[in-house]
Amino acid sequence: MTAVRDAAIGAEGLVRDFPAVRAVDGIDLAVERGQVFGFLGANGSGKTTTIRMLTTLLRPTAGRAYVDGLDVQREPSEVRRRIGVALQEAGLDDLQTGRELLALQGRLHGVRRGEIDARVDELLAIVDLEDAADRRIGTYSGGMQRRLDLASALVHRPAIVFLDEPTTGLDPISRDAVWRYVEQLNRDDGVTFFLTTQYLEEADRLADEVAIIDAGRIVAQGSPADLKATIGADVVTIHVDAGADGTAVARAVLRIEELDGLEEVRTLDEAIVVYIADGSRAIARLVTVVQDAGLDVREVTLAQPTLDDVFLRATGRHLEVDAEVPTTGAGEEESR
Amino acid sequence: MTALVIGTYQLAWRAVRETIRQPGVEVGNLFIPLFFFFVTVGAISNIAAPALGIENYEAFQLPVAVTQGVAGAAAISGVAIVKDIESGYFDKLLLTPMPRLAIVLGRLIADGIRCMAFTSIIVAALSFFTAGMAAGPLGYVVVIALARLFGVAYSGIGVTIGLRTGNAQAAQAGFLIFFPLLFLSPAFAPKEFFDPWMEFLASVNPVTYLLEGMRTLALDGWEWDNLAGAFASVFGLGAVTATLALWALRTRTA
Repeated sequence: MTAVRDAAIGAEGLVRDFPAVRAVDGIDLAVERGQVFGFLGANGSGKTTTIRMLTTLLRPTAGRAYVDGLDVQREPSEVRRRIGVALQEAGLDDLQTGRELLALQGRLHGVRRGEIDARVDELLAIVDLEDAADRRIGTYSGGMQRRLDLASALVHRPAIVFLDEPTTGLDPISRDAVWRYVEQLNRDDGVTFFLTTQYLEEADRLADEVAIIDAGRIVAQGSPADLKATIGADVVTIHVDAGADGTAVARAVLRIEELDGLEEVRTLDEAIVVYIADGSRAIARLVTVVQDAGLDVREVTLAQPTLDDVFLRATGRHLEVDAEVPTTGAGEEESR
Repeated sequence: MTALVIGTYQLAWRAVRETIRQPGVEVGNLFIPLFFFFVTVGAISNIAAPALGIENYEAFQLPVAVTQGVAGAAAISGVAIVKDIESGYFDKLLLTPMPRLAIVLGRLIADGIRCMAFTSIIVAALSFFTAGMAAGPLGYVVVIALARLFGVAYSGIGVTIGLRTGNAQAAQAGFLIFFPLLFLSPAFAPKEFFDPWMEFLASVNPVTYLLEGMRTLALDGWEWDNLAGAFASVFGLGAVTATLALWALRTRTA
């Protein structure tokens, strides 16, 4: 792991307390330059608090944070000069046009007047907002606002960009567009991204390295492939009837634990999740064991391990996403 | 320093553009002072000469209308800042490397420009009823300058409330503070007619000196003592409100 101070983004024992709650509880990080770092966690897990500390918006209660080798608390202004940030709420000004907002952000970030028009045009092209550039932002759809917000984070060509849940609430088309911009900037310009997300697919697709945060602590960290490899087995999920007899479930679990190749077994509300080698062969035995224990099997699924399985193993529960991604994107690109 | 100047200029221009793009918001700030001017003049002007010794009550009331319009216009900044906080745009500004002082200065300077425009409209509209300005055309310039400075000073109250509370209703209430200040001043009659307790309160009220300075220009001409009092009062008020606004900014961004 890169030394914390030499890393693009680093943290040592980062803590943030709010009245009656510790939101971030001793986070250590070292994000390498040119990396896309995914910070995966449920709502309220401490993702946004962490990003606000790393971007100078919030003072840590304890610990140190570094961006591009600079101490975030001691040199906040210089840190802000080097980073781009798009927060969870696209903080835009409805009365400005998209072009005006980008130009203003550019000037406030120190982009020279003679360069600003060309840079704004370039960014508008990248995020496909050329046609809407001279319309007021209040008329933009949610997807357009998110893309404009992303463009505003890039206006001064930062080497390090923080994105706080960049696709939450976006339709699939807009979400895919944001992912492509991130991939393109990371690949072509070597931009380091620190992105928080509650979407497993997003972390899996974009991130070179993922940290799973739960209750303010990092509970697992590594590349998506390495994290999934830690599961070391296939995942068989056996859905049983709601309100199944607890004794029968316990009996089934005991029997499952005797099977060869078993890595781990967990019980959820209406399912038994079994991590087992060669899952396709094990399914028949598993179903028999569960039925023999007196449970009705409703559905059985077999899957390769996902980040959700990693999340489940690390936290004891599935990653529940509060704001579901809309399944239909038609009309999202229409102006309101 | 350069970043502060650029940031302040850019944010002041953004705030002025807000005004241009939502003129409806400003209609009340013009209507209310003009309405009160005509109602007050209609009710009192006929008895002003025999009762108060004021021959030109319209000119006596001109500073009240100007001050009222400016206070209304200046109260909008606090609400605008709350709107930025609620939308997340305030955070976007905090994430730029410009000195954070520019966020407050930009608003205050824009308010100065808006107040100057408001005062010009009010003075132009009422000049038909006030039989001119005793100090001549330059008197109008000084009235507008005083109004502009008062606007900047007064908007510091709304900005402070907005930054401290993040609540639009509370920031809007900043305008209500103006009414006690107005009614505890010689807005409708010279303070020589006040009861002693009222005269004392008027004597520690900065609006009193502002009104008396403007009235001097409208009724008497160039009386330097009154003008000095007017400028001192708005600078004093400005020093207090600007300090409060910067404290509120520091508190919010700490």
